[in-house]
Amino acid sequence: MKVSGTPLTGPLAEKLPKIAAIVGVLGMIASFVYYTQDHHRFFYSYLTAFVFFLSIVLGGMFFVIIQHLTRAGWSVVVRRLSEHLMKNAGLMAILFIPILFGLHELYHWTHASEVLKDHLLQVKAPYLNIPFFVARVVVFFAVWVWLGRKFFNMSVAQDSSADHSLTLKMQKASTYGILLFGLSLTFSMVDWVMSITPHWYSTMFGVYFFAGSAMAGLATISLLALILRRAGFLQDIIRVDHYHDLAKLLYGFIVFWTYIAFSQYFLIWYANIPEDTAWYHMHFMGSWNTVAVFLILGHFALPFIGFMSKHMRRNLKVQAIVTVWMLFMHFVDVYWVIMPNIDTSGFHASWGDIACFLGIGGLFVAVLFARMRTVSLVPTQDPRLPESLAHHT
Amino acid sequence: MGKSIYGLMAEFDSPGSLMKAAEGLRDSGYKKFETYSPFPIHGMDAAMGLKESVLGWIVLVFGATGLTCGFLLQTWVSVFAYEITVSGKPLFSFQAFVPVCFEVMVLFSGIAAVFGMFALNRLPQLYHSVFNYKRFAIASSHGFFVSVESDDAHYSEVDTTRLLEKLGGKHIETVEA
Repeated sequence: MKVSGTPLTGPLAEKLPKIAAIVGVLGMIASFVYYTQDHHRFFYSYLTAFVFFLSIVLGGMFFVIIQHLTRAGWSVVVRRLSEHLMKNAGLMAILFIPILFGLHELYHWTHASEVLKDHLLQVKAPYLNIPFFVARVVVFFAVWVWLGRKFFNMSVAQDSSADHSLTLKMQKASTYGILLFGLSLTFSMVDWVMSITPHWYSTMFGVYFFAGSAMAGLATISLLALILRRAGFLQDIIRVDHYHDLAKLLYGFIVFWTYIAFSQYFLIWYANIPEDTAWYHMHFMGSWNTVAVFLILGHFALPFIGFMSKHMRRNLKVQAIVTVWMLFMHFVDVYWVIMPNIDTSGFHASWGDIACFLGIGGLFVAVLFARMRTVSLVPTQDPRLPESLAHHT
Repeated sequence: MGKSIYGLMAEFDSPGSLMKAAEGLRDSGYKKFETYSPFPIHGMDAAMGLKESVLGWIVLVFGATGLTCGFLLQTWVSVFAYEITVSGKPLFSFQAFVPVCFEVMVLFSGIAAVFGMFALNRLPQLYHSVFNYKRFAIASSHGFFVSVESDDAHYSEVDTTRLLEKLGGKHIETVEA
């Protein structure tokens, strides 16, 4: 079977980026209005939306790297989609800039007067200080943008040159790539999210976000493929067998997230040390407890039972619903981790949350689909493409 | 008294022709036939017209049983039989039960999967008629075979042989039970 290397065309390529860009800009303006009204809470809303979309980028990056690392053949037909997600790291770097202006609102440890009164913060000051924090921000984005460009450019270069040595180069890059990815994801989440409560620490925290990111990345890849399928693209190329395998991985990471989330909770519950339990005390406060139970049910129990059967995983309509639902639950997860820091008495949604979500999300979708106009939707010259096309589960 | 007949066996030269043979037998209405190859062939289940295995449901039932048993056991032990307060936590601390519940569920599921698989495959068998077919020894290296059992409703030595020949079978022989 010959695969034509056509990029995205039609309304998804022409109209959608424009509409999404308008939504994004309007969302950003609304976010700014929200900032003028409640500049303290704005940064938490913004960070929540930012971390959500960043996790999709990192989930896409993880998928690309792990496919090269394992020299996987089955996934070649969907790899370009995850490469597009990964390439949005540059956009996320720009969207991080507002957070730099909110360090004082977000992070307690930036207040010198508080640090003076607090022995623990003094001890942590060599790590938790603004210059080093900003330096790490630069390093994290440098790593992500660099890795994203590296894998994306090599993969696209292969489309025209058909050079098989590029596959070997990508495999080589995936070895140190996965190390850089794991370290940068872990430390970025420790910095940006865990340090909101600087007294608290959990060695599970990075893995917790990794599990959510990998899950969100897989759900987005699958959803993106389904959207393209609906518009008439890649219908014979990404077949039910590929969706089935994506669903298996998605299911695996849903369970993995649960395992990690429970492990983090369980050890803290068992040890019952005040400085550890304080975090859960805050996250179970008032109606946040209901959100936590909703997470257990919606992020674990419901998909665990509903998506267990092979027939469900091979049903593309079910998969569309599950991927959208899991992305929603992932947002609830990020919201539950970050927002109790500001809404201390209980769950309290605001229009500002929606504005930030639409602002970042709109720009994310606009950049994503605009880029899909430029290169083939499938890595047409990948030496393993025939294996992927013939993939059978 | 003559020896009873297990059925007919034939050899095919490739996984593709084996698949076609399976489809041919399925479409002719045969139910009690089996294919043998050195490696699993994707799509063979559908080609043979096999129904989905019930093993998954067996594992589900056993897994749920294991989960319930693990939970009830721990509840009985910690709440009723031995009321010992551990690190100041309530007697009914379900959080502490989770790892054991999980492990018992996995244990039950694993045992159900392995022994359920053996039961459904009717393994182990000390004797099987297909080994009376001389060429069958190469089934584990490079041979592709079909056996049609004589108690299939459509079985007749002449017609089935003709069908197997038509489907590309070689070395077609009747095999003793």
